[in-house]
This record gives sequence, structure tokens and C-alpha cells, in this order.
Amino acid sequence: MRDAYIVSAVRTPGCRRKKGALAQTRPEQLISHVVKAAAEQIDLDKGAVDDFMLGCSFPEAEQGINIGRIAVQMAGFPDEVSGATINRFCSSGLESIAQSAMRVMAGWSEVTMAGGVESMSIVPMGGNLPRPEPEFVADYPEGYISMGMTAENVANRYEVTREQQDEFAYHSHMKASEAQKNGLFTEIVPTPAVRYIVDDKEGTVTKEEFVQDFDDGVRPTTTLEGLAKLRPVFSATGSVTAGNSSQTTDGAAASVIMSEDAVKKYGVKPLAKLKYYTTVGCKSDEMGVGPAVAVPKLLNMAGLQASDIGLWELNEAFASQCIYSARVIGIGDKKYWACDSPDKIINIHGGAIALGHPLGCTGSKLAATLIANMQRLGVKYGVESMCIGGGMGAAALFELCD
Amino acid sequence: MSKRIEKVAVIGSGIMGGGIAALCASAGIPTLLLDIVPFDLKDEEKDDPKARNRIVETGLQNTVKAKPAAFMDKKADPALVETGNLDDDFDRLKDCDLIVEVVVENLKIKQDLFSRIEKIMKPDTIIASNTSGLPLVNMAEGRSQQFKENFLITHFFNPVRYMKLLEVVPGVDTKQEIIDMISAWGEKILGKGIVIGKDTPNFIGNRIGVHSIAVLLNTIKDSGVTLEEVDAVMGPPMGRPRTGVFGLADLVGLDTLHHLLINSHELLPNDESRDVYSVPDWFQKMIDAGIFGNKTKQGFFKKELTPDWKKKKMKYDLETGEYVDAIKKPDLEILKTAKAAKTLADKVNLILYGDDKVCQYAWKVTAASFIYSANRIPEIADTVVDIDNAMKWGYNYETGPFEMWDMIGVKKAAEKMEADGMQVPENVKKMLDGGNESFYRIENGKKQYYDFASGSYKNIELSDNIIFLADLKADNKVIKENDSASLVDLGDGVFNLEFHTKMNALNFEIVEFLAESLEYVHQNGAGLVIGNQAGGMPGAWSAGADLLQMLTAAKEGQFEDIGKGAKTLQDSNQRIRYAPFPVVAAPYGMVLGGGCEICLAVDRLVAHTDLYMGLVEIGAGLLPGGGGHMMYWRKVIADIPTDVKVTDLSPYFIALLTNIGQAKTSTSAAEARRMGLLGPKDRIVFNKDYLIGEAKKEVLKMVDEGYVPPVKKNLPVMGREGKAMALANLFNMDKGGYVPPHMGYITKQIAGVLSGGDVLSGLEVPEEHMLKTERDAFVELWKTENSQKMAEHMLKNGKPLFM
Repeated sequence: MRDAYIVSAVRTPGCRRKKGALAQTRPEQLISHVVKAAAEQIDLDKGAVDDFMLGCSFPEAEQGINIGRIAVQMAGFPDEVSGATINRFCSSGLESIAQSAMRVMAGWSEVTMAGGVESMSIVPMGGNLPRPEPEFVADYPEGYISMGMTAENVANRYEVTREQQDEFAYHSHMKASEAQKNGLFTEIVPTPAVRYIVDDKEGTVTKEEFVQDFDDGVRPTTTLEGLAKLRPVFSATGSVTAGNSSQTTDGAAASVIMSEDAVKKYGVKPLAKLKYYTTVGCKSDEMGVGPAVAVPKLLNMAGLQASDIGLWELNEAFASQCIYSARVIGIGDKKYWACDSPDKIINIHGGAIALGHPLGCTGSKLAATLIANMQRLGVKYGVESMCIGGGMGAAALFELCD
Repeated sequence: MSKRIEKVAVIGSGIMGGGIAALCASAGIPTLLLDIVPFDLKDEEKDDPKARNRIVETGLQNTVKAKPAAFMDKKADPALVETGNLDDDFDRLKDCDLIVEVVVENLKIKQDLFSRIEKIMKPDTIIASNTSGLPLVNMAEGRSQQFKENFLITHFFNPVRYMKLLEVVPGVDTKQEIIDMISAWGEKILGKGIVIGKDTPNFIGNRIGVHSIAVLLNTIKDSGVTLEEVDAVMGPPMGRPRTGVFGLADLVGLDTLHHLLINSHELLPNDESRDVYSVPDWFQKMIDAGIFGNKTKQGFFKKELTPDWKKKKMKYDLETGEYVDAIKKPDLEILKTAKAAKTLADKVNLILYGDDKVCQYAWKVTAASFIYSANRIPEIADTVVDIDNAMKWGYNYETGPFEMWDMIGVKKAAEKMEADGMQVPENVKKMLDGGNESFYRIENGKKQYYDFASGSYKNIELSDNIIFLADLKADNKVIKENDSASLVDLGDGVFNLEFHTKMNALNFEIVEFLAESLEYVHQNGAGLVIGNQAGGMPGAWSAGADLLQMLTAAKEGQFEDIGKGAKTLQDSNQRIRYAPFPVVAAPYGMVLGGGCEICLAVDRLVAHTDLYMGLVEIGAGLLPGGGGHMMYWRKVIADIPTDVKVTDLSPYFIALLTNIGQAKTSTSAAEARRMGLLGPKDRIVFNKDYLIGEAKKEVLKMVDEGYVPPVKKNLPVMGREGKAMALANLFNMDKGGYVPPHMGYITKQIAGVLSGGDVLSGLEVPEEHMLKTERDAFVELWKTENSQKMAEHMLKNGKPLFM
């Protein structure tokens, strides 16, 4: 099989659901902007792209009608460039990269694009019209369990304390604000956005256009004491709070993938290779353990040890599952994730607790972040992994191109 | 008069000012709320409008947060309140038709304010003061004739939304048309009970109220009766609030009371009871020690935590000044006999003529209040009616002093007073001498009061909108009745069905009577009002169905009977719905369970604004069994255009499931409307006394418009998909520990009934199908031991058992 090279990977900022900067901007606008940016960043002839695969967790309503196809059309790609929408919930944006890369690896495509999008403000988590199957839900309600409840289960079953979760959350915010301060989110492309301003006094509604260029959920002033005061939100006696869970967020991300021939033909600099990708199922009611099963499977496939990996992006769906997964993978020690630790390798610029988890976008978003960091730090191997609603894990291994 | 109050200004945003503004806004009147600019502004804040409005903004926020709620619809009503400060926004007062002053009780400050208002007022601006103590004549000093003609006192009681009394006190110059207009406005728009007072200290309510507390303070120590005994006997058994007297004192604040005593003593030099306004030494000691009642967490009573975290009631020992254990329920014979007595009059007779020490004490202080009240006519009020109303509406007494005196026999009581060395008031003596033995009587169907001035009985003049069932009953307008319900002729072919069980709870006697009443109106009338009138705050229009009959049947395993019982209720509600004439219900206060179901069945509601309405059956381990699910669903989807798809009904389904599953009760009629319990055609009325009159008007209007009953249609339901959605959510709530297991089970049954059962989403099903599903679920629940336990617990304790 051929190698698949990622030659461009960018993202919009991640902004808070409803209250954030992107809340009133349509998801199609977000993704088409970032698809265009990914291509233009490397001066790619848009017509060279064979296909675009877009991850999305709730591909309905504004995100429906095959938003993958709409996105490339809106971004001004020629008619010949096809588009698809892919759903594997929280790994959709990684799944799209993997499938696009496989097209290249198989020799079926020379240039593909992949991405992820989710406007959680506009299409709610769970969709507009949740309709569990009546007989299945009666027999097995776990199949539709809320994500927060699974995080409680992980915390309870695997002994992750409230204090550990809050501490982990605190460091996520500290790492993110540090990175923000130092301008290290180089994968972000400034994104045009709109908001509608209602003036009751004047009786007018104005559409304001602006450009957003930073993640707006980061709280540099968060304290452990503040986090400790929050009430659990999913269980009356639980430990999972809004503060130690991922933020619900709007965002989009995209990347360009090429064969070696294409890299040469277009004269672009390859950033990283996608070496391996895997998924695996687990119990629905503890879906957060996904990375703990997916990552060992991935490393085994690649013949690597956890210690071979220089950077990790473990999606922080919830602190409880992230802590537990790191523990199982063998990188659970605080030194691997603490803000002020010289040995930190996990989510070095913070994770979804600070930066948000725009469901279907997250896979592509974390890939963009991981590849930017691998490039900047010269790290050979990076792993991205996440848990997935319904009870699954996904993991991907990236190798740096020097 | 064509003058309307289109905009109100309230100056002062404290508890009273905020409360008045909230009431006006809740009544739909744009209101300008002003307060002072803070004195302590920093230099950089001096031009900052936000900082300058800090006091009024805080006042408004506190009003929004007030408990009990000051606004009726916290989401919508506050938007009608504009805020500003007295420096920058004074000119905006020009646009207001009524300016109510609620600033600090300081004559100079008020005078200065009125002088400023005088300069900007329009000729027809009405100016009112909410003072509770300052004389009108002093406040108006130095003002123009025009100002004085438009100036009066409007004295609201706290909490403004809930206390019915509004004392309107005119000055000598106040124009009659202004008095009339404000009275009518207060009654109709704000729903208040109006009493016209005079410019005398403490006006009416507080003059009589403070006197009776003062009497107690000055006699309790040597009475040999305990604080708990007084509160127990002079509370509910005598038709007085649950707090009793000393409990009320703690609530009002002992410092306030102290202030009132001193003030009264000073302002009432010629009062024959001036001595009772002196401050007893022991009371002064409490004040000196900073014991001010609830606001300082200690007063006559306080609550202490025991080492094992239980609350313990303590009382202040007047002798030693120490707190000692209080007795929660004094073990007094009289409390038991009074409890067994049926009517308030029986209870009051037992207490006031009783031999126990506490009875003799109650007699002594009550008689003193009777005498004091009679001696205040015409000083503070012209009629006994005004004094009785003030005490009922301002102090939540079930009866005023004269009504209670009537209950125990005016003559008999006067004789006892004399025997006890008390002075019977001259006017009462004269009345008795003239052979008139009661303050009130019914004559030709009209309620009359004895007018001391003319020495004759006069009709009590009421607004045309006010109908009292008791008066009609006394005037032989009862068509038929049994122990639980009556049918009363309201005239013009409209009849009123009234419940009169405890808490107006439904029983099978009522249901049967309802069928008979419908038949009677069918033969003889134009339409039916279902309206009750009972005391209490907020009182119960109907607190649900009588559980005992069902529980007994369940315990005996007679589940078929339970099914039949539910069917009877459902049939009854369907009969109301499809009767060939209009049926209007006029609910107020608690409208729960089966009572709520009747309101979902009728053609139209004329509801009082203080409405605590909901389907709360889950609290008793049950689900609505009288057709509540179907009728609630039918009501909320009734006005949705036909081409709306069933998928769009999901939010309605979820809202209803949540409301029934969590036993949600509205806290106002506005909120009941948000909950879909009131529909777009249902009306909200602010004055509780207007309810039956307005409901009657509504019936006649519907008849006039050519009433035909609604056509029965199949209802689109959420079906199995709706239930599945609920199950998925309930699983999370259950795992999260938010729903106790059996209540979770009941909620699943509710979801099943409300969704129309195991049918395809969007299917249009007959009403009977939903009713049958409901009945089956109802019976199945009664079969469970847990539901029986919950029902029993509710019957015994009046509170839900969470299991």
C-alpha cells in the first residue's frame, strides 16, 4: 500500500455553544471556509481534489442534505469534486481523515480532503428529533444512555475521584491559556462569522459580520476552588460537573491528503503520514473507556510501545474517562499532563475541557492541533484517540515528515 | 370617567415599592420605578448611568427574586418596569398618570419630593403616598390646591401581591372623582379589597391590629398562660393565621412593633386605651438585647439545631430572658373540642366562653379588641364593614371583629363584658337598646350592616361584578344541594355549581351531583358556572379527589370498582365538555389533581391570578385518572394549525410529561398559561371576588354568540416513538438518582398514556382510546403495594412519600 501524506490541516476556532462567537453562523459557512483555507494555504488547484469526506455527528437539519457535498460547492470547488458525510459520532472527523487516506493508500485517489463540522448551537446534541427504537430502548436503554452518565460510570467503576477530575480540568485550562498567550494555536484560520443584534428600543435587527480567530471557551481565571464548588449535573450524588466535562462547542476543521506522487507533482511540503487507524467497541454505559481499548490495539498493530509516542491528543470528553484511559495506556502520571511539567505529552495545549468538543469536528480538529505540535516540536510519533457515544474508541497514529 | 391609568410611577424600590411596581407590571401596566442616586459614588462613577441607577436596579432585582414571588410572570412582567433615578429621570414622571411615593418614612423627605413633583405634574396627575404612619395633612403642607385635590394615600400591605387590603385615605381636599377612580382601579385592575380610611394614625388595619398585639404584650406576663398556648388557640381555631400572635410578631419584627407602640402612644394622646401602647419592661429588654424576631433569627421563638441536627423550637422566657424548650403542640382540651367543632362560629363560641385559663385569656384580649374596634367608629372608619374588611384583608383573619362578635352573640358578649368590668361601647349599647342584636343581617336577600350613625341597617354596597354565594344561599337561591355540593341560581338562566367539602376535594357525591346539575341546567338554564368560594390564602378551589374511597377499595382488592370509579370521573368530565350549553369554571388558589381535570374539561376558564394549578397525582403514587392526560393533551394541541406534523408536537409532549411527571404546579395564572393549563381564550381576573360574576358574564356572552358544543375529533398522538423518547430520558434520570424507582415507574406509565399507547406516531386516535389507556394504567398502579403506600402517606401527612 502507498503512504498517505497530510499536507495541510487547519481548523476554525472552537467557540462556546449558544454563548460563543460562532453560535449564529451556519455550519456550512464554517466548514466551507475552512475547506477553502486548507486548500488555499498550499496553493492547491481545487480541481485536483478527488473527494471530500466530512465527519458530522448530527447530520440533520442545517447539517443535513449531505453537508459534505454542500461544503465543497460553497467553497468554490469545481463540480467534479464529490463530497460525502460520515458519522461515527465523536470520531467522525478522524474517520473522515482515515477514509480519505485509505483512498490514497489504495491508489484510488491522488488528492483527497477530509474534515469535520459541528454547530452544537444550531443542531442540538441528540438531534432535533430523538426517536429511540421503542422495543430496543425498553430492552436495552443503555443504547441511548446520556454521555454524562457514562462518565459517572467510569468515575465510579474505575475509581477516578472528583478531586482528580477537577485537577485535570484545571490543568487543561491552564495549558490552553498558556498556549493562547504564546500564540501557539497556529492551526487556527481566522473565520468570518455573523451575529444578529436585536435592539428592542429601536425596534431593529442588525446583522453584524466579524472575524473570529481564537477559542472562546478558555478560562484562564479558573481555580481549583471554583471547580470544586460546581454541582454534579448528571447524577445527584456524582462527581462529573460542567467544569470537568468537555465544553459543547461550534467549530470545523479540514485537511488535505496526498499520495507521494501528488506531493511531488504539486511541490507541497508533507506534514505527517497517517500510519494506522483503528476502532473498537466497548460497553455503551462506559463509552469513555474507548481510548483504553483502542490505543493498545493501535500500538500493537504498529508494533510500538506507549513510550515511543512523543505527543498525545486524548480527547477530553470528560476528565474521568481521559484520566482512566491515560492510566490504562500507561501514561497516567500527572507529569504527562500537568501544565507546568517539562515532561508533558498529553494535550499539551489543553483539551476539550478548555477548548471544546464540537462532536463531529473534533477528530479533524485534534489532528490539526497534533500535527502542528509535532511539526513545531519535531516529534516523530503522535497518537490521537477519543471515546465514542454508543460505546466505542478510535485511535490513529501519525508519523512526522521531516 | 375617561381618564385611564396607562402608566404608573413608583418612587422607592424597597420591598413595598418593588412590590407595588411588580403588581402593576403583572397587571400589564407599564411602570416607571425610581430611586435615589447612591450617596457613595466614586468620582469615576459619577457620570456612569449604571452606577447612578445602582439602587433602583438592585431593588428591581430583589423584587424579581422575592419569595413569595412578587411578579406573576417572572419571565415577561419585569420587562414592563423601566428604571431610573430621581436626579436624571425626574422629568419622566410627567408621562405617568399615577405617581406612588414609597420613600423612607420621613416627613421632610416626602415633603421635598412632593414639592418637586408639583412642579412637573400635569393637572390630572394623581399622586399617592404609601405611608403607613405619616398624616396626609402634613405631607400636603405647602402644596397647591391642585396638588391637594389630586393627592391621597394608598396604603398597600406586605407582600403587596398577596395581601388583599388596599387602604385608600383621602384628605379633606382630595376630589371625590379621584377617590372613586383609584378605588375602582385598585379593585378591578389590581384585584384589591378597598377600604376607605381616614387621616388618623395607623389608619384602620394597623390601628386595630397593633392594638390587639399591644394588649397581649401588656397582659401576657401575668396571665398564667404560655406563648405557645396563646398562639395555638388564637390561631386557626379562631380563624386567624397559623402564625398565631407571637409568631406573627416575630414575622413582622419586634423592632417594628416597638416602634409602632411608641409611635401610637405619642400620636394617640386621647385614646382611651393609650396605656396599652406603653412598652413593658421585659419587652424593652428584648429590644435592647437586639432580639428582633425572624430577621435576627430569634424573637419570642427561635429554632435551634440539636447535636443530632434536628430542629428544636425554643421560646423566650419573659421572666428570665433565657430561651427554654417550647412545646410544639400544647396539650389543651379546648384545642381538641374546637377541632371537633364543625363551624368557625362553634369553635369561637367554645373558646371565648370556655372555662380554661387560656380560654378566659383569649376572651379577655378578644373582648378588648371588640370594644376598641367599636369605639373607633367613626374615628377611623364610618362602618363596621370597613373595619372587618381591613382585618380580613390586611391581617388574614377569617372574620373581622364585628363578624366574630356576631358569632358569639352581641348581647351575650356585652353582658359578659359588663360582668367582667369592661366598658361596653356606647354605640353598641345603643344598638342593643334599640333591639338590634347583630352587626349584620340578611334582609330581602341583601346583606346589611348596622350603621351606628343613623341607627339603622343599611345594604352593603358591592360592585356589580361581585357575587357572594353565601348571600344568594341566604336568599333562597339554592336549587338543590347535598353535603358536598350545591347548585345556586345566579339569575339570567345561569347556575353555579359549588363544592363545599374539606379543601373542596372531589368525591363521588360531587360527581353524581354534577351529573344532576348538568341535567338540571339542560332542562332549565342557559349555562353553568363551576365556582367555589372559601376562605384562606390562597385557599383551595379544589385540592383534588378524595383518596380515601379509592385506597379503601384498593386495600380490599376491589380493583374493578377502582376502574369504574375512574370511568365515572372521566365520563363526568366528558359530559361537561360536550354539554349542549357553555360551562365555565372560575378557579382560584389550589386547583390540583381532579380539580385541575375539571378545569381542563370546561369550555372556558375565568381564573384568579393567584392560581396553583397542576396534575399532581404522582405525589400520591398515582397518575391522573379522570381523563387528565387526554384533556391536557387535547387542550395544548387544540389551537395548532392542522398541517403541523406530529413530529413538531414533541416539545408539547415533553413539556406535559415533565409537568405531570414532576407534579408541577403553577405559581400564578400567568404561569398556568405558560404551562398550557390555561388556553388562549381563558381569562385571568385579578379580583377574586369578581370570579363568579365574570364567569357568569362569560357564560352569557357565549350563549349570546350562539354557543354550540365542541365537535369530538380524534387526536394525533406521539405514539410508541414518544414513549421510547421518554424511556431513554428516564433511564438517565433513574441512573442519576433524580427519580425514586417507583416514581420513575409511574412516569413511564404517564408517558405511555400521554403518548396514546403502543400506536404509530402521528396516528389520530379516539379520545376514548386515551381514556381507556389511562384507566388501565390507573388500576394497574393501584394494584402495586408502592402506590398504595404513597397514597396512604399522602392521606396521612398531606405530603408525598418519595419512593
